[in-house]
Amino acid sequence: MIDGPATHLLFALNVCKTYPDGAVHALNGVTLGVHEAEHVAITGPSGCGKSTLLNLLGVLDRPDSGEVYFRGEALSTCRDLDRFRAQQIGFVFQSFFLLPTLTAKENVQVPMFEGLPRSARERAKKADELLELVGMAKRANHRPMQLSVGERQRIALARALANDPALLLADEPTGNLDSENAVRVLDLLTTLQKERRLALLVVTHSVEVAERADRVVRMKDGKVLDDGTATKLHQGQAMARG
Amino acid sequence: MHFVTFILKNLTRRPTRTALTVLGLSVSVGSMIALLGISENFRDSMSDTFEKRGVDLVGVASGAADQLSSEVDEAIVDKVREMPEVAGVDAALVELSEMTLREPRDENDTPPSSQVLVQAWLPDNFGYDDLEIRAGRKLSADDAGQFQCMVGYKFSENNNKGVGDTITILRHKFTIVGVFKSFNLFENGCILTLLKEYQELSGRKQKVTGFSLRVKKTSPNPDAEVESVRQKILALTDKDGKPYRVSIERPQKYLDNAVHLKITKAMAWIVSFVALFIGVISMLNTMVMSVLERTQEIGILRAVGWPRGRIIRMVLGEALFLGMAAALVGAVGAIVITHLLAQSPKVNGFIEGGIAPWVVVQGFAITIVIGVLGGAYPAFRAARLLPTEAIRHD
Repeated sequence: MIDGPATHLLFALNVCKTYPDGAVHALNGVTLGVHEAEHVAITGPSGCGKSTLLNLLGVLDRPDSGEVYFRGEALSTCRDLDRFRAQQIGFVFQSFFLLPTLTAKENVQVPMFEGLPRSARERAKKADELLELVGMAKRANHRPMQLSVGERQRIALARALANDPALLLADEPTGNLDSENAVRVLDLLTTLQKERRLALLVVTHSVEVAERADRVVRMKDGKVLDDGTATKLHQGQAMARG
Repeated sequence: MHFVTFILKNLTRRPTRTALTVLGLSVSVGSMIALLGISENFRDSMSDTFEKRGVDLVGVASGAADQLSSEVDEAIVDKVREMPEVAGVDAALVELSEMTLREPRDENDTPPSSQVLVQAWLPDNFGYDDLEIRAGRKLSADDAGQFQCMVGYKFSENNNKGVGDTITILRHKFTIVGVFKSFNLFENGCILTLLKEYQELSGRKQKVTGFSLRVKKTSPNPDAEVESVRQKILALTDKDGKPYRVSIERPQKYLDNAVHLKITKAMAWIVSFVALFIGVISMLNTMVMSVLERTQEIGILRAVGWPRGRIIRMVLGEALFLGMAAALVGAVGAIVITHLLAQSPKVNGFIEGGIAPWVVVQGFAITIVIGVLGGAYPAFRAARLLPTEAIRHD
């Protein structure tokens, strides 16, 4: 199933990460690949290393050993990881992390300073298009505090798409939402993933979120426990229950 | 959205803190601009006076810190006047004197006294030519021995004294015969009287505090002519054959060496430096607080791809905007304050309203440096944050 870096959009090869105190091996030799336009969910108990893996795949952190490849290129050799992150990766966080002083439209433009739209007019136009895409055009001039949590996450999603990334990384994207808003955001996320042929990697505790994925990776104690389809995951869970 | 808009929005997030920082810094910058402006005005006023009166050389006692502490034998003035190359000589005895503005009402009454700058001039000083007479007339040789004086218009306004009124200087009553306006800041706040009678009153017979002169220029090299006259004056000797204790310089060199101007400027810089140091600390405090509060946001900016350089530019940009706002407020404040001070009787025409544009430009430039200094540490601190740790920061 796992062939190698060359056939994947993103490929983590035997990555390890130990936090500075040396006591916790957050990741212990994880190998994981994500294809172009593939939807992958990572599940597992708290502290199993899901978020650490997401940080390494999103180049927010570096592995102690092992390598992360993007379209076959080792990221350890990349000279400008900030630019790479800005142009190839979009992030969606559990707590949205919108900037409170900016309007929805301005928040969407923040990553564009390091992206392709060069002028303020181009950035504004692109932001309008993205807000339309996530159904938030009418709320463009509202600040985060004036929006519901569901609306905030949709703005965060528009921001993640600002530079037309190839990969979207979402860390518990529905973790702070009620069930109604969670379904809306998930619908939007999966629709956009398919329409835009994005690779989507979602870290989640939620079965509802995981079962929408093409593949589900289960982790435990810093290692990949199993890697398969959502159906297989259900079968595995059913068998485990007895 | 422009990057500048983003920076300005960060500043408006805490309007009270931003306003207080601008206010605090503007006091520092305004103090500096006002002090340096006033000290420059002293020099400019003297420089203008020499230039407009066509003065080529200035003489004071060698080693004197300023004209008030100088004493030169008047005989040298007479010898200089007799030189064929000299077109005119101004001699003056300048000192701070005790003055009372009214007579005692009875034997037990002691009228309040104050210090006033008195300039005692020869009746043929060329300085009279450019005085604008606002009331009465100029002093002349005919006034000798009659204890008459002119007053500058600032003195007249501040003390409500005009033509026909009397002033007591060194216990002698002087009658005002004219009110004048000069382009010299100090002359407008002073009393001008004749040299001979004032020398007697002050016990400084045959002494002046300094003199200035115009040189006849006939050759294509006027500098050489002036230098030649300077050397001839330095070579003059008294009746015992000894050289006079006098220093003769071109006006600009005299001003460059004037100890009182140097002290004024040095004091202005010392006070300005303290004020600016406080300004840097204030800016540093504000920006460190601002960065600490926004640790998580900075982590997000790093996560969405902002490089360290843009984070540094963001924080420095905020500091620069604060600095420029403070410079603007400080400059306006300094100009208003110096104008108000110039109107105050307390300073009696010793301060000129208005500040030279280059002093304001200097103030802006220094404020930009303050902005960079105060913002540099917080900016680099913000840029060093690891995105993963910053995002977790609460």
